[in-house]
Amino acid sequence: MRRILSWTVVVLTALVLQSTVFSQIELGGAKPELVYLATVVLALLEGPSSGALAGFVGGMAQDFLLNEPKGITALTLTLLGYGVGMLRQYIVTPSPLLPVVLVGAATLAGVLFQGIVMFLLNQLDVSGFYLLRVALLTALYNAVLTPFLFPVIRRVAESSRVTKVFRW
Amino acid sequence: MVLYRRTRSTRLLVVSLVMLSLMTITVDFRGGEEGPFAAAGRGALATLAPLQAAVSRVFRPVGDFFTGLVHVGSLKGENDALREEVERLRSENVEGVSIQRENEKLLALIGLRDQLGLEGVPAIVIGESVSNFEWTVTIDRGSSDGVEVDMPVVTGEGLVGHVVRVSGRAATVELIIDPESAVAGRLVGSGETGLVLGDTDLRDLTMDLVDDETEVNPDERVVTSGYQGGLYPPRIVIGSVSHVTGGSGGVSKVVTVRPAVDFSSLDIVLVVTNHRAIPGP
Repeated sequence: MRRILSWTVVVLTALVLQSTVFSQIELGGAKPELVYLATVVLALLEGPSSGALAGFVGGMAQDFLLNEPKGITALTLTLLGYGVGMLRQYIVTPSPLLPVVLVGAATLAGVLFQGIVMFLLNQLDVSGFYLLRVALLTALYNAVLTPFLFPVIRRVAESSRVTKVFRW
Repeated sequence: MVLYRRTRSTRLLVVSLVMLSLMTITVDFRGGEEGPFAAAGRGALATLAPLQAAVSRVFRPVGDFFTGLVHVGSLKGENDALREEVERLRSENVEGVSIQRENEKLLALIGLRDQLGLEGVPAIVIGESVSNFEWTVTIDRGSSDGVEVDMPVVTGEGLVGHVVRVSGRAATVELIIDPESAVAGRLVGSGETGLVLGDTDLRDLTMDLVDDETEVNPDERVVTSGYQGGLYPPRIVIGSVSHVTGGSGGVSKVVTVRPAVDFSSLDIVLVVTNHRAIPGP
C-alpha cells in the first residue's frame, strides 16, 4: 500500500512538473520526459517486474492527459521498464554514470518507439528527421536531469520497500 | 527453481500489461471522442488541473526567466538605444514589469474582442501538453464556465487554436501549430484562401492550396477566412507570410506563415463563446 502511494506521488509529481515548469524550459523545442526517467530509475532499482508495472501505470496516467489514443505511452513504458530491469541484471559496473547513460539510452529508444507506433496509427505527422531530433534532445535532457532526480527517486523507492525483520 | 518461477511470473506480468495496453489502444482508437475512455480522460484533466494551476502560479517567473535566456542570442545584435532600454527595465521591479505586460495583453485582447464583436470567457493557461508530440495547453476554465468543445481560442495577438476537451473547471486547447490542426486562412492582400496547417518541422505554419497565379507579398498578413459553419470566426490574425515556394507549372503555391502568437509565452487567452461550428457529417 505504501509502495503504491509512493509511486503514485512520483508519477503525479512527474506529470505536473512536466506540464508546467519543464514545458517552459524547452531544450531546442523538446521537453524532458520525466515519467520515462522515473520508470527507468525504478526499473534500475527494483528490477523488471516493478519496472514494467511502474511503466504501465505512469504511461497510462500520461496517456489519459493526452488527446491521442490511450495506451501508446503505457505500452512503450511497460516494455522500457521490463527491458531496463532485465538489462540491469547483466551489468555489473559500479560506475555512478550508469543511471545517466541508461536513462539517456532508454529515453532515446522509448521516444523513437513511441513515435513509430504513433506514426503507424496515423497519429503523428512529422518527418523522420524531426522525430530523431526530438528523441535525441529528450534523451539528452533526461540524462542531464538524472543526477538531480535519481537520488530523490531512490530515496522514495527505498522508503517504500517492505523490510522484513527476522527475530530469533 | 525459484529463479525460474520468478522469471516466468515476470514474463507473464509483462505479457499481460502489453496485452492490456494493446486492448486500450484498440478500444480507444475505435471509440474516438465518444469512447469509454473519454470520460476517464476528462477525469484525469480535472484531477491534474488544480495541481497545474498551483504549480504554474508559483513557477511562472522561473519559466519566464528561462524563456528570456533562450532569446539572449538575438539581443546581442541590438543597438545602443535598446541597451539603454534594457538597463532601464532591469532597474524596474520585476513584478511591476510582469503586471504591465499582463495589462498590455489584456488591453490587446479587449481591443480584438471589440473590433471583431467576439464574446467570450477569459482564461489563464495553467499547463502545457505532457507529450513532445502534441501541441496543446490546459486552461483554467471548463464546462461550468460555458466552455465547450470546438470553441475558438484567441489572444490579443491573434488565433491560438480551439478547445478539444473539457472538464468541469479546465479545458484542453489544441494549438494551431499542432500538425493535426488545419485552419481555413485568407491572404489579406489578394483575398486568396488556403488551408493553414501546423508544421513542427519548420516551427511555422504552412498555407497550402494557394493558387499558383496569386501574388503573395513578404510579411503579408494571413487571417481566418471564416467560411460558414467553420470552426473559426472570420478576420482573426493567424500570422504573416515569411516564405513562398512552388507556384510554377500549375502547381499551387506553398506559403510559410510566421504565427502572430508567441506560443512560448501564452498566459491569458479568450475562449470565444458566440461562434458555433456546424459539425461535419
